[in-house]
Amino acid sequence: METLYTVLIDPFVQMVEVPDFFLQVLWEGLVSGVLYSLIALGFVLIFKSSRIFNFAQGIMVVFAALSLVGLHSFLVPYVGNEFVAAAIAMPLTLGIMYALAMGVERMVLRPLVGQPDIILFMATIGITMFLIGFGEFVFGGENKVMITEALGIPTGAIEFEPFGGFLLMEEKDVFAVVMAIILVISLLVFLNKSAMGRAIRALGDDHTAALSVGISLSTIWVLVWFIAGVIALATGIVWGARAGVSFALEVIAYKALPVLMLGGLESVSGAIIGGIAIGLLEKVFEIYWGQPLFGGNTETWFAFIFALIVLLFRPQGLFGEKIIERV
Amino acid sequence: MKHFTNFSKAVAAGALAVAMSTAAMAADGLNFPNLTYRTGPFAGTGTPIMNGQRDYMLMLNERDGGIGGVPIDYIECETGYNTNKGVECYEKTKGDALVTQPWSTGITLQVMPRTNVDRIPILAPGYGFSPMSDGNTFAWAFNPPVSYWDGAYMILDYIAGGDMSSLKGKKIVLLHLDHPFGKEPIPLLEKLAEMHDFKLVPIPVGLKEMQNQSAQWLQIRRERPDNVVMWGWGAMNAGAITEAVKTRYPMENFIGIWWSGSDADLQNVGAKAKGYKSVSFNAPGNFPVLDDIRTHVVSKGNSEIKSEADMDTIFYQRGIIISMILAEAAKTAQDHFGEKNINAEQLRWGLENLDITEARLEELGMKGMTPPLKMACDNHTGHSGAWMLEWNGEEFVQASDLLTPNRELIKPLELEKAADYAKNNAPWPGRGDLACN
Repeated sequence: METLYTVLIDPFVQMVEVPDFFLQVLWEGLVSGVLYSLIALGFVLIFKSSRIFNFAQGIMVVFAALSLVGLHSFLVPYVGNEFVAAAIAMPLTLGIMYALAMGVERMVLRPLVGQPDIILFMATIGITMFLIGFGEFVFGGENKVMITEALGIPTGAIEFEPFGGFLLMEEKDVFAVVMAIILVISLLVFLNKSAMGRAIRALGDDHTAALSVGISLSTIWVLVWFIAGVIALATGIVWGARAGVSFALEVIAYKALPVLMLGGLESVSGAIIGGIAIGLLEKVFEIYWGQPLFGGNTETWFAFIFALIVLLFRPQGLFGEKIIERV
Repeated sequence: MKHFTNFSKAVAAGALAVAMSTAAMAADGLNFPNLTYRTGPFAGTGTPIMNGQRDYMLMLNERDGGIGGVPIDYIECETGYNTNKGVECYEKTKGDALVTQPWSTGITLQVMPRTNVDRIPILAPGYGFSPMSDGNTFAWAFNPPVSYWDGAYMILDYIAGGDMSSLKGKKIVLLHLDHPFGKEPIPLLEKLAEMHDFKLVPIPVGLKEMQNQSAQWLQIRRERPDNVVMWGWGAMNAGAITEAVKTRYPMENFIGIWWSGSDADLQNVGAKAKGYKSVSFNAPGNFPVLDDIRTHVVSKGNSEIKSEADMDTIFYQRGIIISMILAEAAKTAQDHFGEKNINAEQLRWGLENLDITEARLEELGMKGMTPPLKMACDNHTGHSGAWMLEWNGEEFVQASDLLTPNRELIKPLELEKAADYAKNNAPWPGRGDLACN
């Protein structure tokens, strides 16, 4: 009976009795969810245009954040001002991510055109290994501080007092949510309204048909990897602002896997909704069921179990395309 | 970023290092492998320690020609804090090794049975398995100068102001990495909770959650503990301290074990973390040994530190202490056996009979940097004590006199768990043919 009470009654009693705490849980879940969505978007864009599951997305987050912080610390002694250095470091980092996209297209993707998907997937593991080694050689393995203030990201906190309690929102979390929303809207507009965006979607629908109407595979791949690089940079900035910049950021990419399972590998809206759903649900489950029943740390497995249950009923994910192959 | 401009220098240095290591391998030398983790999620903890360890050994080679005139062959094998890679590194480096330094509780537990067969001492300073202190069971394993159980006791003793009975009715959270290292203090803390009637709430942090501990800190907000004790490593520390600041948890009630006290982890939040504490077996300061390292290693461009300011950090200086313990054990063995080129078994004797007095620390230019240390056959840890350090917003400063563990309380638990280990891993050799003298 006690277990039944813990599972079925107590969590809801707590939510009603301490509503400010419940709101805090929802806010933290939303912030995590938005950040998971950002990582998942990087995967989806590349998969949509090239059918490659980009294993390197996590290390791209680290590499982009390290490049920004590294360039900034390199520039500060020369320009003598933190903000000016950040203003120069940002476009330079975008330049590095563009160069990376070009390099990947020229040296990895182009020679492997027409190869089975698994070969391309293995190639992205190779890119991961290269970026780990190169990043550690250039920047070292130590923790670094994200240049939050130099980038103009607010660092204070907003406090509310709902229901006589308190709800705390870090301004940098609010910034992360707003930035993610702007990024996603821009991306959706770009994909749906611009010629390049339509070309990316066309490639995602049918490679051969897209090529036959003159869409350049090389240009699109460079563009898509660059956009994934921009998303990686945005993700690196907001995650780095939370807990520093280190190679540990790479493991955050694994959090996107259940999001992709849930949302579907080809769906931009699936990545967004899947990410937010998983962020919210895993946080609520951890606080109200995970900690009392399992001693906590359920966030490491909850999202995968949840995604697997969804896959039982919708093998293509919530928003994925149902692929029918006739033999 | 200096690597961009120093690329050719780095390549040349690498080639020189390969040439030098080949030469060193060919010559007689004291082979001291170190299973490092300068890469991966825990590199933030590992890199400054390994820099300190390396620089002290290089300094001895430059200044004294090694130990007793025998050059030190200091070899690093990178594990990334991964247990499988650690075991590979152990196998790869054990050939002529006089010692193995596994640098992870997980790797230590894996290689421990092998070292009995290979007859190579394990040196796991400030980490590993607390019952390793029982030298009669773990003849080849050493974890000076203090064990995790010592650390747990000293932290609680500090919280209690020296009177453990004052913990009655309190709630203490153990925020720990969900990993063998993070679970190490739980048996002792559970025993203390039972003895002194306080509530212990362990909260695990998974490896994937290290950077996003909002759920753990929401639980802490709900539990409203009197104190939070952290057993964190690598990226977990910065993540926890950031969340503690965000949750507005009173920093003066937040104390970490010695691996949760790296300057780099605190710099992320700076002044907002003022009051955070970490127990440490090395105290910060400007000690004469640092001048020797500066002269013989850093100023010659042979160190891997990014700037001289890195020498002032707690973890760099801890690396120096760790290498000093090994070097002193080698010297003890050389003096006792009258041989300069000692073997692994002789080094094991040196570790077991190590006695670093206050006077010896002064000779080494390390007086006040770490407490005097004495080990014995039945004491492979030394249990020399530690200080509480406090973050003042910019750096760690010493915040207590020397704290010491209650050996009468801890030793029976060590013996019990050591006996359990030997029983579960039977046939366990124990001391075997190794005499205690």
